[in-house]
Amino acid sequence: MAGILETPYGTRDFLPREAAAKRALETRLAKLFAEFGYEEVVTPTMEFLETLTVSDKALEPNLFKMFDLQNRTLALHHEMTTPIARLVVSRLKDAPLPLKLSYNTSVFRFRQNQSGRQCEFYQAGVELLGVSNAFADAEIIALAAQALKISGLKEFTICLGQVEFASGLMEQNNLPPDVQTKIKSAIERHDIVGLEKIVDALELDKAAADSLKKIPKLHGGIEILDAARSLADNEKSQRALDNLAEIYALAQTYGVADKIAFDLGIIRDFEYYTGMVFEAYAPDVGYSLAGGGRYDHMLKDFGLACPATGFAVGIERILTACERQGISNDARAKNIYLSYGEGNVDAAIKKALELRAAGKVVELSLIAQTKDAAEKSCAAKGYAELMYLE
Amino acid sequence: MNDFITIALPKGKLFGLSTELFSKIGWTADGLHEKSRKLVITNDAARLKFIITKTADVPTYVEYGAADIGVIGKDVIDESGRDVYELLDLGFGKCHLMMAVPKDKKRARLEDYAHTRVATKFPRIAEKFFAERGMQMEYIKLNGSIELGPIIGLSESIVDIVETGTTLRENNLEEFAHICDATARLIANRVSYRLKFDRINNLVNKLEKFL
Repeated sequence: MAGILETPYGTRDFLPREAAAKRALETRLAKLFAEFGYEEVVTPTMEFLETLTVSDKALEPNLFKMFDLQNRTLALHHEMTTPIARLVVSRLKDAPLPLKLSYNTSVFRFRQNQSGRQCEFYQAGVELLGVSNAFADAEIIALAAQALKISGLKEFTICLGQVEFASGLMEQNNLPPDVQTKIKSAIERHDIVGLEKIVDALELDKAAADSLKKIPKLHGGIEILDAARSLADNEKSQRALDNLAEIYALAQTYGVADKIAFDLGIIRDFEYYTGMVFEAYAPDVGYSLAGGGRYDHMLKDFGLACPATGFAVGIERILTACERQGISNDARAKNIYLSYGEGNVDAAIKKALELRAAGKVVELSLIAQTKDAAEKSCAAKGYAELMYLE
Repeated sequence: MNDFITIALPKGKLFGLSTELFSKIGWTADGLHEKSRKLVITNDAARLKFIITKTADVPTYVEYGAADIGVIGKDVIDESGRDVYELLDLGFGKCHLMMAVPKDKKRARLEDYAHTRVATKFPRIAEKFFAERGMQMEYIKLNGSIELGPIIGLSESIVDIVETGTTLRENNLEEFAHICDATARLIANRVSYRLKFDRINNLVNKLEKFL
């Protein structure tokens, strides 16, 4: 019977050591989110396909789909922002704003060749709904930085962009929507060669063409905002830069400004984001660890105009990054292996209860053992200490 | 933090052209030869590491961040489907991808080849090309001597790269459809591009002057 011992493509098991590391990280993140006033919500693992694709029909091929008894198409959630938007519009629309919600769950995307990610992977994150100011975005950035810090990462950088900067530049040049989409796609993929070809074909004046070509190279400290300012002769782009400066000033007060770099070439999924966007990176890990941004239009797709911002971290990706940075993630506490000779069962149970009440992790042997056998069991199971009742 | 820049270079014709270009701006290392027995060639003073890999593996090393940057043909990038940043068109290694068929059995239109067999080293690019034209084909992946396919009756056509066209002529094949042009590109990992931006961007600016 080939196959019964395999798991489906893109899925994995977490063995005890891995599961303990994952649980420990998730617990720390859940505590942090709660400290910032974010309340956890849980939504169904599956939703109607139309719900998940409300803002972007092109997602459909990457979703895991199935049918219900009425033959309606269901899909496994591929991220949590859309289900939470659905939840807020349907069931929390009268709740006082701002709404601060968090989650921790697995999500599913069908895609081959994903570096550092399976088809089923775990995400923890927050959504902040009902406020459109820079303070809300700064809180999200500060929380993301704090989340990466408490996960144990020694080194990481949060790269901050603003999708309206590129949009403003393109509108300034009156580019038609299909060209704008092509340019955004090239910027997002950092296909700088492709971007130059698209822009050259537009026959803009040299200054305008150069500005567009420079977008993916606008990376650096706060000083690049000034460089960007000189490229953009329109209000939208200028407002985007003001917004970043404001977020940065607040991030300084939060004490996370040293973790921030600016990168106006980050626009992420542009069907979706409307303002600040960011991705977090660590050295020696080739993909982003966390990402998020402002998405002010999504709730409108569900019928309720409401600004929103948020982020998610990739649990497995952070665990991998910690491992690469040499941070031990064996979170299992194995304090005491408790064994006993014949006739001491009752005393052993009482002792175990007493130790556990004092906060120790205790494995109680289920058979009477000789001391030799107990020592062997204790070592084999990796407990720190043997307690033996003669 | 790892302050080295790791550069993946492909074996084959792009190797010499790449090392020559990089050495013009001082990015080189002792013992950097295609036949080097060492797999990683380091220049400690300049904080550079070179790795020499099989052509098709360059995008893989870069996507995963095992190499920060690399030099590779556009054809290989597109075929790999890897998520890498494309920073600069290096101009050399010019070739194009095309569909060729035996001269004496040429059919009138491209659509006449629907549902036939096509031998290729580039099944992903070929499939995209034909699918965009509403054509389904049978793709036969070969790893070399693609021209052999139609000669011995393995396929009705081939999709391959062409530089001069000599091999095609020698094998009585004729270009039937142009698919895309390709040149060597400087590629980068998305995280390296950001975390090592100053050095990589500086490299791009300097290389541009020599192109």
